Amino acid sequence: MISGLLPRLNMGGWRLSTRIVVPSLALLMLVQAAVLLLVHASIDSNARRQVASDLVGAERVWRSLIDQKTQRLRQGAEVLAADSGFKETVTSRDEATIRSALENYSQRTGAAVTALLDPNLNTIAINADKVNIQADLLKQIATPLRTGTQTGQLGVVQGRAYLFVMVPLRAPLQIGWILMGFATDKTLAEDLFKLSNISLALAISTDGGRTTTVPIFTLPSDTVDDLLQAGLLRSEFNTPDDTLILRHVAIKTIGGTVDALLVRSLKQATAPFRDLQLILLGITALGLLLFGLGSAWTAMRVTTPLRSLVQNAERLGKGQYDQPIQHTQRRDEIGDLAKAFDRMGKNISQKQDEIQKQAYWDRLTRLRNRVGFRNDVNAAIAERRASEGLRQAPLSIITLNLDRFKHVNDILGFTLGDRLLVAVAERLHARMENGALVARLGGDEFSILLPHADADAAMSMAACIANAFETPLSFDDQNVDLSASMGIACWPQHALDTDTLLGRAEVAMYVAKRKTTVVQLYDPALDSSSKQTLSLLSELRRAVEYNELRMFLQPKIALDSGRVIAAEALVRWQHPLRGLVPPDAFIPFAEQTGFVRQLTLWMFDEAARQWAGLQLPDQPLRISVNLSTRDLLDLDFPARLDVLLAKHGVAPEGFCLEITESAIMDDPLRAESTLKRLSERGFKLSIDDFGTGYSSLAYLKRLPVDELKIDKSFVMGMEEDPDNAKIVRSTIDLAHNMGLSVVAEGVENMEILHLLREQNCDEAQGYYMSKPLPVDAFKLWRERWAGRADM
Amino acid sequence: MRHFFCLTALLCVAAPVLAATVQVQMQDSAGIPLADAVVYLESKDAAAAVKPLLGAEVAQVNRQFDPQVRVVTLGTAVQFPNHDRVRHQVYSFSDAKRFELKLYAGVTASTIVFDKPGIAVLGCNIHDNMVAWVIVVPTPYFGRSGPDGKLTLDNLPPGNYRLRTWHVQLPVGTPALDQALTVPATGANVAVRMTGLAP
Repeated sequence: MISGLLPRLNMGGWRLSTRIVVPSLALLMLVQAAVLLLVHASIDSNARRQVASDLVGAERVWRSLIDQKTQRLRQGAEVLAADSGFKETVTSRDEATIRSALENYSQRTGAAVTALLDPNLNTIAINADKVNIQADLLKQIATPLRTGTQTGQLGVVQGRAYLFVMVPLRAPLQIGWILMGFATDKTLAEDLFKLSNISLALAISTDGGRTTTVPIFTLPSDTVDDLLQAGLLRSEFNTPDDTLILRHVAIKTIGGTVDALLVRSLKQATAPFRDLQLILLGITALGLLLFGLGSAWTAMRVTTPLRSLVQNAERLGKGQYDQPIQHTQRRDEIGDLAKAFDRMGKNISQKQDEIQKQAYWDRLTRLRNRVGFRNDVNAAIAERRASEGLRQAPLSIITLNLDRFKHVNDILGFTLGDRLLVAVAERLHARMENGALVARLGGDEFSILLPHADADAAMSMAACIANAFETPLSFDDQNVDLSASMGIACWPQHALDTDTLLGRAEVAMYVAKRKTTVVQLYDPALDSSSKQTLSLLSELRRAVEYNELRMFLQPKIALDSGRVIAAEALVRWQHPLRGLVPPDAFIPFAEQTGFVRQLTLWMFDEAARQWAGLQLPDQPLRISVNLSTRDLLDLDFPARLDVLLAKHGVAPEGFCLEITESAIMDDPLRAESTLKRLSERGFKLSIDDFGTGYSSLAYLKRLPVDELKIDKSFVMGMEEDPDNAKIVRSTIDLAHNMGLSVVAEGVENMEILHLLREQNCDEAQGYYMSKPLPVDAFKLWRERWAGRADM
Repeated sequence: MRHFFCLTALLCVAAPVLAATVQVQMQDSAGIPLADAVVYLESKDAAAAVKPLLGAEVAQVNRQFDPQVRVVTLGTAVQFPNHDRVRHQVYSFSDAKRFELKLYAGVTASTIVFDKPGIAVLGCNIHDNMVAWVIVVPTPYFGRSGPDGKLTLDNLPPGNYRLRTWHVQLPVGTPALDQALTVPATGANVAVRMTGLAP
């Protein structure tokens, strides 16, 4: 376990397991070290105290031993003194007999000195074979013993200590003293050691002599030598392997000094505690080991599942949501974490699915969206490409756009608009067969993939769909009539790749919409400039920048006077390579991309700049400029015109702004607001292409317009088509009734001009008078026209 | 004492010579009268005139000698009757007389003749605290000071004497003090001051 743990600790640095194990162990070790130190210190101080107390006790023992010995010796002396034979001998005054008696007694008792003293402590006789003791020293020693309160006296004679006792000699009155001296020997020290386990060294120094000897000791002689050398008067002495605690017991001595050194080994005293300490150390080591193992095991119990959870989380991160999360069955925090991971994985997986759905599916209609549809088409094409060499099944795309859906949305509201889209989606979906797939590309635009259909099959499918739109959709008691414009493009006939194929279906759809032909099969002719459109935008920008655009003017004449009173400004592109580019080639594109706003402003700027130059003293000329839908939606548009008017110092009354009916109907409310603000400035407003849209006159009446322009489709050929002539006439009447002036476009011959004049049309514009001309040519033409006497 | 005075009276009668009286005043070192001091006068004539006393005894009563101080003339035989129920073993290691009686009981003890002048200290080997003194004097002229420290010696032939004085309280082994005294026929008064007495 440990061997497995350690490398991990080393490798992982301060990993969780380390963080758990190391501080716990360190804390434990700290506590144990403190305990051990405390115990050690306590043992040491206790041992010292114990030793000191032992030594005090030993001193008592020592003194008591000496006392006992003294008593014993004294009793012996008393026995001698009581002996009547001895008394008789002593009183005989026969010195030789007395000495022999003393000698005899010395031998019996082992006394080194036996002396008979007279009552005044003068030596009468002495027996001291091995000691040369002077009489006065003897008297000195005897003196303190005389009173009887002191039983014994130590005396130093010739470097040796002797224990003296003295008893009176009575016969029956005291006639003298018996003084006996016994050499101290090792037995007392040994007795002491036996009794108290304390060693003793007896240090002896003679009065006057400086030398100290230690004749008696129960210590190793080396230690005694060291002690002697170090000086005896110390309470502690360190030997190489021990500490000795010393106690001095000074004993009253005559003839020198006797110092009893009681010595206790500290090591010996602490020996039992040392064993205890070793046991404690063992317990500590065992505890550390167990604790270390325990916390390592705990740490592993925590970190092992954490590690596997980390792996789980990493796999979740890689998107592998189906893997089972481990440890979810655990009931602790790890289990909670694992469960949280599990829930997280499931949630992420769900979200991922939703995101995928949103990425490829339309939420509203539950159809494929543009991205999904593109993928499907890609896949279908790829499939056909893979079966190259075999008969390749055709593939067609129908792109479908609801007509006037924006209008419906504005009137009925977005909620209903959405329901409408859903209903359309259902209706389309219901018609799908042979693996056909319908998708919502965005807004009101749908697209259908027909996997096995060629152009004909696609056309019939489109017809079928158109048929389906015949039936009105009904919502909440409201019937909504819907129609759709459809464009068809086929693979590989019209395009080889998905994007081009979809683009061409869209182009066809826009053509169908413009031509209101419901269905249009793609034709390269429809899209002649399609190859150029990619670069068109940048070229258009360049055209504005390098002044490649030209303003052409087409005159409008007043039918009553025949005078030129106005002109429509039309843009032409003088391309440096392609020559003069017709408006149809770039205006629709500009409208699609929004660049038309720059074109409008360029046009207005140019018209305002040229305006003054076009005015004649008796013939003011009003210049008409076409506005697009996008201009009307731009809230800042009126202000932009203000800037340009101010720039050229011209008044708004000199201009007419032409707006197509469809431009107004895209967002009638905003268009109305913009038109009002333009009208307030003094601009004359004109409805262009009137009759092609669906606007009601009642609605138009609300707008601040001054003029209607009847679409040229009604005017051209009106001399031959009575229906058109009627429309023109009634339109003129209607407009006049509403207080609007009327301009007829597409006047191509004199007959039409006359008819219009008969019908009280106000102004006429058309090739009969002039096609659009550059400004200079226009001026020349105007002079020529004025010169004509008759129209 | 009674015998003593009888004896002297007899002597005076027997020697109808000139007789003098000596009065001795005993004092301690502080001049306080000293009672129970032994006083005797020595001279050649006196020594010649000495006669042993009869019936002298030192009894043992209640584990004590009685009397504790006994003055006897040279040659007196002293008896040691034991009135106690325990036995005694009386001895003396003094130079005046060395003897040791066997363990005995009862009054029928042997007698010891003190034939040397001096002081014999008596003890009992059984009872260490028993002590008695026998002062052996070679003269018929002796006595003991009374409670007033006075002592009168009568019927002394005039002449030169040694005045000896002793007291129990003198240090152990001290012989009787010795001083010359001339006794005229008219008698003499003498004061003896004793120093070194044990308290």
